[in-house]
Amino acid sequence: MRRTLSRLGGLAVASSLILSACGGASTTTAPSAADSAAPGASAAAPSVAASEPVSLDFWYWAESDAPGADKWMAETVAEYQKLNPNVTVNVVPQSADTLISAFQTAVASKSGPDMASQWATGPVLSFVWQDSVNPISDLVPADEIAHWLNTNENTYNGKVWAMPQYLLGIGLAYNKELFDKAGVTPPSGDRWTWDEFLAASAKLKTAGITPFVGGDKNGYLGAWWFANVGGQQLDSVQDLAKAVVGEVPFSDPKYTGWYSILEEYVKAGNVNNDVMSLDLDQGVRLFSQGKGAMTFTSDGMLATAIKDLGADKVGVMRPPKWGTGALADAGNATQSISHFVTSWSPHPQEAADFLKFMHTPDRLDAWYKATGVIAADDRFDMSQVTVPQLQAMSKFETTGDQVWLENWIPPQIDGEADLPAGQMIFSGSGTATDAAQLWDRVQKTWAAAHPDELTNWQQLAK
Amino acid sequence: MSALRRFLSPAGLFKQALMVAIAIAAIYPVYYMLETSLKTREAWTADQFGLPLPPTLDNYATLLADGRIPVWFMNSVIVTTASVLVSTVVATLAAFAIARLTFRGRTFLLRLLVALMVVPPAVLVLPLFLGLQPLGLTNTYQGVVLIYSGMLVPFSVYMLSSFFRTLPVELFEAARIDGASTMRILRSIVVPLSGPGFITLIVVNAMWVWNELLIALVFLQDDQKRTLMAGLTTMRGRYAINEPLVMAGMFLGVLPILLLFLFGQRFFVRGLVAGAVK
Amino acid sequence: MSAMASAIRRRSRVDVTPYLLVAPAVALILLIYGYPIVRVFIDSFLSPTAARGTTVGLANYGFVIDDPVFWKSAGNNVFLLVGVPIMTFVALVVAVILFDQIRGWRLYRTLVFTPYILAVPVIGVTFVYLYGYNGVVNEILRAVGLGGLAQDWLGSPTLVMPSILSVIIYRELGFGVMLFLARMASIREELYEAAMIDGAGWWARLRYITVPQLRTVMTFFVVIELITMLSWVFAYVYSMTGGGPAFASSVLELYIWKYAFAYRAIGIASAVAVLLLVAISVLIVVQLLVRGGESETGEE
Repeated sequence: MRRTLSRLGGLAVASSLILSACGGASTTTAPSAADSAAPGASAAAPSVAASEPVSLDFWYWAESDAPGADKWMAETVAEYQKLNPNVTVNVVPQSADTLISAFQTAVASKSGPDMASQWATGPVLSFVWQDSVNPISDLVPADEIAHWLNTNENTYNGKVWAMPQYLLGIGLAYNKELFDKAGVTPPSGDRWTWDEFLAASAKLKTAGITPFVGGDKNGYLGAWWFANVGGQQLDSVQDLAKAVVGEVPFSDPKYTGWYSILEEYVKAGNVNNDVMSLDLDQGVRLFSQGKGAMTFTSDGMLATAIKDLGADKVGVMRPPKWGTGALADAGNATQSISHFVTSWSPHPQEAADFLKFMHTPDRLDAWYKATGVIAADDRFDMSQVTVPQLQAMSKFETTGDQVWLENWIPPQIDGEADLPAGQMIFSGSGTATDAAQLWDRVQKTWAAAHPDELTNWQQLAK
Repeated sequence: MSALRRFLSPAGLFKQALMVAIAIAAIYPVYYMLETSLKTREAWTADQFGLPLPPTLDNYATLLADGRIPVWFMNSVIVTTASVLVSTVVATLAAFAIARLTFRGRTFLLRLLVALMVVPPAVLVLPLFLGLQPLGLTNTYQGVVLIYSGMLVPFSVYMLSSFFRTLPVELFEAARIDGASTMRILRSIVVPLSGPGFITLIVVNAMWVWNELLIALVFLQDDQKRTLMAGLTTMRGRYAINEPLVMAGMFLGVLPILLLFLFGQRFFVRGLVAGAVK
Repeated sequence: MSAMASAIRRRSRVDVTPYLLVAPAVALILLIYGYPIVRVFIDSFLSPTAARGTTVGLANYGFVIDDPVFWKSAGNNVFLLVGVPIMTFVALVVAVILFDQIRGWRLYRTLVFTPYILAVPVIGVTFVYLYGYNGVVNEILRAVGLGGLAQDWLGSPTLVMPSILSVIIYRELGFGVMLFLARMASIREELYEAAMIDGAGWWARLRYITVPQLRTVMTFFVVIELITMLSWVFAYVYSMTGGGPAFASSVLELYIWKYAFAYRAIGIASAVAVLLLVAISVLIVVQLLVRGGESETGEE
């Protein structure tokens, strides 16, 4: 879910390979529909002639989001190979910084792994548009896909292109002890309104407690605010796409008006004064050390905070509600990473079968035990989530619509507008108006430089 | 004035104090790197400044087990060795011609090389990428070595030609009279006598390639092929909340050069300043 | 090859050997410098993606000139130039002190030079920690009662460039000191002896002998560092701030890199590259004028 700066750089660097690819035609080796007709094939039954040895390469990423993932994957591979002796799966764990760039390199030569992981929506689609993805819905039966959660994040042109594995959301964690000290009561429902949030922050400040801690040195805190608070005046991701393609300017208050309330919040001294000195994780660490009353956390970070502070001291609520659009009520869970079969793989069906195997109930349970992150599958047994705060997060993440807004803008706009705009506000180097204008300018630059991508996004905007 | 009196005079004490301050400032970051790398995560968060008590080698163990740093290191070694080798050979040939032979365009060529020495890699990186990518040379050792070799040529030719000119003309002329061919002269006279010049050049060039970042970032993106510099820049992001681990990585990254420097100070210094001082 | 060259030589007046010798170097130069420079000029007139191959005249330059981030980046590079006189002065002072061979000068010399051999990303990351809001530098300030001076050195839009400059100086200083010391070591003793006989004091000797003798090498150092500030600071910025916060520490190299690879806007990146090249060329001309007829024949 979080992108590292270097990842953006990496994305950028290697995505330059698009330059050559985009001018000419690229060869696609999309499998025919016949391949996907392996009806009712259970995960255990191979769909290829038993004697033919098949070797699959999987460029896999999940460990940074969910520590323990690599180990789980190794076990999964071992099990799968036991059940399918002719198949060898070779997993190559990827680094977040080079996730996109490494794959972009493969795309340029249309050769490389059979399966790959990329972050949902923006990144996945960018590769779909480079004809590098074999849609998973062509290879896996619809009734299986129906169990997967958040497939809308990779749906385009009527197909589901990539498979989710887990769900991460962002919650507003709070320190109960510090709340008590300041006389703040947590919301009775699952979230505060913005005014309640402001009032609570004021009380905390009076009590000498830093209301909100975080780190925006690498820009992700700002991106998280955008994803959790920024989109609350919008009704749908199509709304956002309209701005992406320039039908509506980003400087319209609907899109960037929220920077004013963030600016106010920061100027009132509610945020730790070393926010620009710390990266995202370092900022959350402040919360774990009891140095701040509230912070945005992912499930994994919340689990760490509970470990550090003690379960009785940590609570979690949904980010405050500020806007009036339909998205203000939506949750913010995302699959974060998505796995897909590459368009050049000579064994698309076998590859898809392995991916599907990752969703067998036994594997889902093992996943949760290994990582503590819930699986993106309705067959996942939620009762395994026993820590109350994590249960609350899971509920947030699986109730109602879920939109991780950052997924729905092109990576370039994310890196050049979203992140720096947040930094402007947190560092005080720009006003909300400056931030809005930045979004505008970046959108125009991106649109002028990439008419090809623009057309694709216009499809999304419909 | 005796040495002791000089030392104790106000001017003397001031100079000492100043130098002590500067020296401490210069070496403190290295000390800090080492000190931090020996702390556990928690110890560092609690106290960034003080000594690691007790010190731990866990960070180094983790890094060496992870295995990426040695891989990056080897990549840097490969790329540096190859680039310096190619550029030195190419430059030697050209420098000799420029220094001791007369031919049309000699002055122009030398002037051109001097001018090219200052062209920033940032100007070249995009067109080189666009040019090499269709040739399949991006993300390969060959491509990077080609680029680095090319970038080392101007300075190398300049330096070597200056150096060759310091060799006595008489040797050259005598050999000529004896009927030796140009290549023979180069091989048997010029090269053997140019030991110091070559050492200097190799030190300077190797350091430059070893430390280069922009080209390495763009042209070797495969984690397995990354150079040490490029790899190190990814560490801070990857281990954001394990600062001691990052510092351990940084320290490992500079340790080889640091050791080389401590034992071979002479070469470094001589090499690096030779370009300006003859 | 030599036999053939001799044969050719005998047949005609033209000796082919030199051309053969310089050929590999020239080939490499054409490939690594010639092609890119030409291409960058051409691409700067193409449409931003260059994929269409349509020319847009000066539109890319227009875009760049209109972009506040470009000016911020260029301004930052210019700001860094300010550091060069500072660096030179401090290096001179240190070199002079060390040249007097005060006690422990060899150790000081080694220590001062050490930063220069360290890799820039390593220095960068270390200083990120040192300059953190609760990092060592601020801790020291707070400990000696100067807590009011404690700042977020790299996180403040106004302080980030001076902070980065301080790190650059930290490293480049050693190079200057070494350079000056080496030159000073070759100043002939007789000059100093004659001056002392004439009763010249420490300051006079410095002013009338040392500094003039150092002029050439000082100019060399200054020119090198000026060029560095324009075209070799990518690693510092990339490893310390990535250009942040919000472009406050962006420099031209970073700008080019971003537009080339993040935006994939070839035309724009090329335009900036051309502008940078022009700026550097000015410096080259200056350097050539100063060195005049010296360097070519290697005499001084």
